[in-house]
Amino acid sequence: MENKLMIKLVVGTEALFFVALIFGYVYFAFKPGYDPRVLRLLHTRSTGIFSLFLFSSSFTFWRAAVNFDKGKPSRLKVWLAITIALGCLFLFGQGREYFNLFRENLTISSNLFGTSFFTLTGFHGLHVFIGLIMLSIVLLLAFLGDLDRPGSSVIETVGIYWHFVDVVWFFVFSLVYVLPHFLK
Amino acid sequence: MEPVHLPRPQSELPDLNISNGQGLLQWISTVDHKQIGIMYLLFSVLFLCIGGLAALLFRIQLALPNNAFIGPEMFSQLFTMHGTTMIFFVLTPGILGFSVYFTPLMIGANEMAFPRLNAFSLWIAFFGALLLYFSFFNGGAPDGGWFNYAPLNEKQYASGNGIDYYCIGLLLGGIGTASTAINLIVTILQCRVKTMGLHHLSVFVWMVLVNSFLILAAFPAINAALCMLLLDRQLQAHFFDLSAGGSPLLWQHLFWLFGHPEVYILILPSFGILSEVFQVFSRKPIFGYGLLVGSGIVIALLAFGVWMHHMFAAGLGITINGFFSASSLLIGVATGVKIFSWIATMWGGSLRFTTAMMFACAFLVEFTIGGLSGISFAIVPIDWQLTDTYYVVAHIHYVFIGGSLFGLLAGLFYWFPKMSGRMIRDRNGKIFFWLFVAGFNMTFLVQHALGAMGMSRRVYTYPDVPGYGTLNLISTCGAFIMGISVLYLLYLLIQSKRYGKEAPGDPWDAYTLEWMTPSPPALKNFEALPPVHSERPFRDLKIERQEK
Amino acid sequence: MTHACQILLTIQSVFESATVESEKVNALTFRFIIAGSFIFLLVAGLLVYVSVKFRARLADAEPIQARRNIKAEVAMIGIPFLMVAFFFYLTIKTMEATEPSVYNQKPDIIIIAHQWWWEARYPAKNAVTANEIHIPVQKKILLRLNSADVIHDWWVPSFGPKMDMVPGINNYLWLYIRKPGIYEGTCSEFCGAQHAWMRIRVIAQDTVDFQKWLTAAAMPARQPATAPALSGRAIFMGLTCAGCHAVRGTIARGRAGPDLTHLASRKTLLSGKMENTDENLGKWLSHPQKIKPGAHMPDFILNKDTLTALVTYLHTLQ
Ligand code: HEA
Ligand code: HEA
Ligand code: HEC
Ligand code: CUA
Ligand SMILES: [Cu+2]
Repeated sequence: MENKLMIKLVVGTEALFFVALIFGYVYFAFKPGYDPRVLRLLHTRSTGIFSLFLFSSSFTFWRAAVNFDKGKPSRLKVWLAITIALGCLFLFGQGREYFNLFRENLTISSNLFGTSFFTLTGFHGLHVFIGLIMLSIVLLLAFLGDLDRPGSSVIETVGIYWHFVDVVWFFVFSLVYVLPHFLK
Repeated sequence: MEPVHLPRPQSELPDLNISNGQGLLQWISTVDHKQIGIMYLLFSVLFLCIGGLAALLFRIQLALPNNAFIGPEMFSQLFTMHGTTMIFFVLTPGILGFSVYFTPLMIGANEMAFPRLNAFSLWIAFFGALLLYFSFFNGGAPDGGWFNYAPLNEKQYASGNGIDYYCIGLLLGGIGTASTAINLIVTILQCRVKTMGLHHLSVFVWMVLVNSFLILAAFPAINAALCMLLLDRQLQAHFFDLSAGGSPLLWQHLFWLFGHPEVYILILPSFGILSEVFQVFSRKPIFGYGLLVGSGIVIALLAFGVWMHHMFAAGLGITINGFFSASSLLIGVATGVKIFSWIATMWGGSLRFTTAMMFACAFLVEFTIGGLSGISFAIVPIDWQLTDTYYVVAHIHYVFIGGSLFGLLAGLFYWFPKMSGRMIRDRNGKIFFWLFVAGFNMTFLVQHALGAMGMSRRVYTYPDVPGYGTLNLISTCGAFIMGISVLYLLYLLIQSKRYGKEAPGDPWDAYTLEWMTPSPPALKNFEALPPVHSERPFRDLKIERQEK
Repeated sequence: MTHACQILLTIQSVFESATVESEKVNALTFRFIIAGSFIFLLVAGLLVYVSVKFRARLADAEPIQARRNIKAEVAMIGIPFLMVAFFFYLTIKTMEATEPSVYNQKPDIIIIAHQWWWEARYPAKNAVTANEIHIPVQKKILLRLNSADVIHDWWVPSFGPKMDMVPGINNYLWLYIRKPGIYEGTCSEFCGAQHAWMRIRVIAQDTVDFQKWLTAAAMPARQPATAPALSGRAIFMGLTCAGCHAVRGTIARGRAGPDLTHLASRKTLLSGKMENTDENLGKWLSHPQKIKPGAHMPDFILNKDTLTALVTYLHTLQ
């Protein structure tokens, strides 16, 4: 109970943090009018695919939680491992995207779009990374046998955070990658 | 006899078996909320001395016109560190100290919900403060003022490392504060003794609860701003850099979106403490419990709708100014409800003027002065005249010292017997009270006039304009009286702790559960608790015992 | 005693209105002072009354445990609410009266704040000056306020409203000065090390004097006639001075420092830091960083002759 309330509060204040960053992004990337050249640089399709990995990791995590509640630790471990793998894939995709942008000479210091783009997506990536650390710890606990029986709130607690990271990405992805296509 | 209730958390607490004999190590490694609370308070007092010393230094510089005691660079660093320290490392740990110590006791819990997180929060904030001060040894302290406006905070204008230390120090402090807030909310919502409903919480606990939500909602804005600033300074991003299209005003918006709630964060717990003090020393229940709690919530909500009153002179237009003027004025009404409720609490009571009560009464006067100068700012044309002058400095100190600090001092004198197990001699407490109040008014009352006479704030010196010299000299003398009184307070606390009369569990014949415990409370707060059916459970228990 | 009275009389403050705008603001301020005093006396009075009346006495019985009183509650919310509503109305009215919208009007004077000096441009005549700003009286003037670097703030207490000068943004301020005179002001937003020495001196003149001054100010610099002054000019152009300062009518076109075309006709140096005398000028030129530490003018190594020549030249810039 206590853990769940705690993580909800954490998620609440983190959400406000992202609201501030999103506000900054909207202000800077759309203020002088959206620059369509930027759209050419961003790889909407490949990022979309990597996003699907992240979104589906919410699903696999949910499976992990269900199996935990049913007291099936081996399935729990499998689903957890898949979740972690999907999260890693997402981060890999983000790294790839960054690398491509760097090659095109778009960095955090090149212009306002770069500044706000890298800050927003970078902080999201950092949160995914933190989530992966938490998931790895949970997986470790599972292997140590701590999660063999239902009852612990660890899974649910980490889950709230992980789903939150997903939801944030949904908004960020829509704003950064999808919305501009409709503004053309 | 009605059934007794067991406190929560009931399970054996982690690390509670450390014996008391381990000295310093035991304090450093503790997760006991009472020890952590005391360490917060020591943290606060330590930095009060450091921040106060900085103030004394620049007050010497300001004592005379065209003085050359410290140069402009040092002066900028000193007032920046003074303001930042006082807000983030004096008042913040001060309110958190009392919150962490007394919240569990007042709701009949044995610990905070997350004892280890509690210790983590304290230490990370403390190291944040140390890091901030380390800047003095690495190229100079931050020098942009406590609100550190862009673009003056950008590398281009502030090439030293000070501002970077400012960012990291405040981020760490902010993490500590926010995690304590989470801890307090969970504790209050889930660790209360069974029969205690939310309407049985004492006003102090209510204010802590409201305040914690306020912290969680306010800090993200400054965290975002600080991250942006760090990116600007370290990776050449352009958030606040005009030449690349960035916006200096964005900093102001983000900062004050945090900054204004922050100043209420620093006073709501004091409001709570005062509510306890007024009722106990008036021998009456608090007047208008619902009003007090409700107005606290209203203040917290309105706090997010007033931030642009710090920007009335930024040229945002009449419509925006008008909106923020209205919301700021409304806060005055909500705060007035509190002031009048406290007077109504005293009305018809049987008043006991202990030192704590003296501070509470002085608060009413001083805070009203500070609040009224705040209202004068909310009236935009007056703000256009007086913003960024010494009149603002006077407002700051009347609300921070006359408001928050007087509240904390009232709490200190009220709870010292509980925390230390010793009494402070009331006569000595009153000597401190008069010294402090006299010094305080002497220092800051004249600053209203200085502001009206055209003296800008944050000036390292001033020309010999008629009147300036005299008033500034008075102010400096007052500051030294305050300094002496603070030293006297330190002496008084140490002396009372060592040689004071031993304190009984309930020296004030008080109303709330913390007074049920012996002074100081045992490591495990409660073995068993009475059922709760009002916001004064301990009084109910005493009456019940008497009737038997 | 008389001494104290003299001081009191010479003290200048926001209450000494010199403009129509500040009269309007002060009318509001005075009303607030009355209302504020009322509230303060009410709180203090109640506190004193309660403290005396209800002080604990020996063998006091437990007081009545009253918790509520609807009438009192309504009054303590209602009365303050009405008061702030009234002041809100006055706020809006006063704001609209003192600072009406500017629309597309052309400013009469453009003031640009720099770390740590003021530049004033008069578009009508293309005149430029620094630190001592001349403004005509009995006429509604529109100031446009800009900044060249960080945020500064224009404030002359007896003129009423102040206004921030934010880089990249045009802010405006209306002024209708009643009487000629000299009005002191200061930068009122912390802008770095020398924020203290960023004082304003406004010289308010009637229209005739002002036009005379403006015509003179728009003229290029006077040609130096004496040999030392001529050599001073050569040094000025030879050293980097000309890169930062403008002296109209010469090749000196720098904009990083104050315009020096008519330096000698100004009464003060360095935004009110010191009087404009040859001695002070010499001190400043020989060691800027000692006089105004942090100022954006480097220390030069000038020998005595160069210094005298420079001062002589600058002295000719009437
Ligand atoms: C504890 C901190 C605290 C508190 C409680 C307050 C309380 C208030 N403050 Fe203050 N404020 C600061 C801390 C605080 N402030 C600080 C630190 C700054 C400066 C920051 C900086 O620039 O460095 C600042 C600056 C500041 C400004 C910007 C000034 C400027 O820079 O131009 C404004 C403008 O509106 C303002 C308004 C108010 C108002 C309306 C209240 C109200 O909440 C006051 C309400 C209280 C009362 C009004 C008194 C009691 C009421 C009655 C007795 C009832 C009757 C009253 C009426 C009818 C009005 N404050
Ligand atoms: C909690 C808040 C708080 C407190 C308590 C104080 C306390 C004091 N303040 Fe502070 N002040 C601020 C918050 C606070 N201030 C803020 C937020 C600003 C704005 C900063 C900015 O503009 O950015 C400000 C700015 C400010 C200014 C304006 C600076 C400027 O604009 O140039 C001045 C000037 O007089 C001032 C003076 C004082 C004085 C004399 C005290 C005195 O009350 C201090 C009394 C205490 C002591 C004197 C300490 C006693 C200890 C010793 C004497 C030595 C002990 C040493 C050892 C034991 C080793 N303060
Ligand atoms: C790097 C730029 C720079 C150079 C080079 C420079 N100045 Fe300056 N000067 C300034 C600035 C900036 C100020 C305003 C300082 C202030 O008030 O903060 C100033 C102020 C002055 C003033 C005072 C003006 C006033 O109205 O108060 C004089 C006179 C002056 N400079 C003369 C000179 C001379 C002579 C030289 C050459 C030997 C010189 N300057 C070289 C930047 C420069
Ligand atoms: Cu310019 Cu302060
Ligand atoms: Cu505010």
